[in-house]
Amino acid sequence: MIRSRHNSSGAFGMALFALIALLPIGFSLGYAAAYSVGLAGLLSEGFTLEHWARLFSDGEVGRAFGLSLYVAAVTVALSVSLALALLLFLRRPLKEGPLSYVIYFPLAIPATVAAFLVFQLFSGAGYAARWLLHFGVIDDVAQMPNLVNDPYAFGIILAHVSLATPFFILLFAQLYETEKVEALAETARTLGASRRACLYRVAVPILLTRSFTNVILLFIFVFGSYEIPLLLGRQSPQMVSVLTMRKYAMFDLTQKPEAFIVAWLYTALVLALIGWAFRSGRAGGRV
Amino acid sequence: MNAAATPDLVKRLSRRSWVALLVLLAGCAGPKADEFDLAAAPWADIEAAARGQTVNLVMWTGDPYINAYVRGYVAPEVRDRYGVTLNVSSGQGNQLVSMLMTEQEAGKPVSEFDMMWINGETFYQLRQIDALFGPFTDHLPNARYIDFENPFIGIDFQQRVDGYEMPWGNVQFILIYDGARVSEPPRDREALAAWVKAHPGRFTFDTSFAGMTFLKTLLIDFAGGPEALAGPFDAARYEPVAAKLWAYVNAIKPYFWKSGETFPSGVAQLHRLFTSGEIDFTMSNNDGEVDNKVLQGLFPETTRAYVPDFGSIQNSHYMGIVKTAPHKAGALVVCNFLISPEAQLRKLDPQVWGDGTVLDVDRLPPEWQERFRHAPPRRFAPRRADIEGRALQELAPEYMIRLYEDFRTEVIEKR
Repeated sequence: MIRSRHNSSGAFGMALFALIALLPIGFSLGYAAAYSVGLAGLLSEGFTLEHWARLFSDGEVGRAFGLSLYVAAVTVALSVSLALALLLFLRRPLKEGPLSYVIYFPLAIPATVAAFLVFQLFSGAGYAARWLLHFGVIDDVAQMPNLVNDPYAFGIILAHVSLATPFFILLFAQLYETEKVEALAETARTLGASRRACLYRVAVPILLTRSFTNVILLFIFVFGSYEIPLLLGRQSPQMVSVLTMRKYAMFDLTQKPEAFIVAWLYTALVLALIGWAFRSGRAGGRV
Repeated sequence: MNAAATPDLVKRLSRRSWVALLVLLAGCAGPKADEFDLAAAPWADIEAAARGQTVNLVMWTGDPYINAYVRGYVAPEVRDRYGVTLNVSSGQGNQLVSMLMTEQEAGKPVSEFDMMWINGETFYQLRQIDALFGPFTDHLPNARYIDFENPFIGIDFQQRVDGYEMPWGNVQFILIYDGARVSEPPRDREALAAWVKAHPGRFTFDTSFAGMTFLKTLLIDFAGGPEALAGPFDAARYEPVAAKLWAYVNAIKPYFWKSGETFPSGVAQLHRLFTSGEIDFTMSNNDGEVDNKVLQGLFPETTRAYVPDFGSIQNSHYMGIVKTAPHKAGALVVCNFLISPEAQLRKLDPQVWGDGTVLDVDRLPPEWQERFRHAPPRRFAPRRADIEGRALQELAPEYMIRLYEDFRTEVIEKR
């Protein structure tokens, strides 16, 4: 009886999950696929592969995915390294004193505001340029290097790193306690390990392994981000979300199916990444 | 999953959840559309039907003066006079088209929106997807003051408005500069190229409507004048002229702001670069905007505007009513108020908005003619009468589509 009740509530949970999570995603992917081949949409004229051919003919979509991968990878590498370094080298100030709460302020900042702050600081006539001009480092604001709307996506990466680093400090600090990293490092030291070996062969591997899923989730979040690259990115190449929205709301309505193709490719890639991350995370006991 | 549990679950779902689902779906149906024949109704009946309606207007809300005019003047007036509540929400051009297109694709019988502020490119798209109510302008009593035979009013992007949108304001494109920084602005395209080369990093344009309108003006100049590209889109005429335009732009691109590696995405960003001193020129589709921006304190008092010798596009902006709008009577009443001499005169004042009127002043009652002729003058931009002679008509919308697309491939992505 108890078992039957347990099973039926499990079935209800599964049905609810399918209804709320799987069905909309499945339907959206199906609709996007149908739209992309002319089987749906107000202006569609029947089945065609023309939109797929046109999208891949100029390489713009490839550059968009390339840029998004680059920004996501660099952001993850910088945020994780910075958070690890701050946690491991500033343990005491992060536990007590003003730094212990100031460091988390960026967590309260929305993405749009972070982008705006970066823009105010580093655009051609931003505060950085004015200060440099004031102190005579540059003679003209035009000499200020391109740090916003720039070819290396410096502005985009900076905004993302400033938002993600406090989150990882918080996460690593918690893992440091729950995984008893301090005690393990102490043990290693009593067994003769150097301070350096304790850091790189005990603390860092434990923290990275345990936070693996979160790192992947950050990667996906940055990969699909919209507001920050919209404000701080260039017109070409554009990150995937910005490209999708541009194609979706273009003057030329016949290009709308291309937006669905980009969205479809993005979703497929992210789902594959999530599937891989959770499977390998579970295999390694990291979820 | 326990097989026996599934029918039980379905049974329970059917007992409890279906009722809730039906209630939810019924709630989603939204308000019903006006149910009488607006085309045949006398104006008094339309005003009576409008009383008590809430009209949802979607418009660009990026200018505080325009917002103040609509929210602080139009909304209270239509509420007090006609009992219509005007609800303004933010959205423009392509977003609007996307929203209405999605509503149609989802088979939504009644729209969330009643009316919207549109220009030529949006009109073209909305007609393409048959999302506009009309023809309706003939029903508006104040439409008798509008000369629909004026090509800058009755024709929008080479497409006759045919009563499907109501002219609201008329503007002409201008180039804006700071007289304190630029003593003599370039008047033709050779002079412009020479100026840009002599002042690296001090000129650019946006990749949105204003910038593309500027390129369109240059395109017309390369084509040999306004008649060369008039009429429906013709790829055979466009391509050789466009090739000259891209060669011209690419030759001076290295001297643009940020070496032409990127461009501002909208005119607001362009204005910001101008006010922060990064560039020496900005531009606007509205010849009245300079006064408006100086009064707001955004542009310095030394700001000036001009129309180059090769002319500039003059066009009108309009109000459209959604085909599936739930409150068409209310929308018609608001439209009629917007083209009343009173509302149009107020809008003309640079301290209010500085937007050109669509009314033919000669058709107005004599007392209103006087008031229009003595409207507050502009201080920083040339008078309309002085630049009207160089006004160019909008080209067919496909030219704009191609310019957007080709500018990306021929200029932005060309390294």
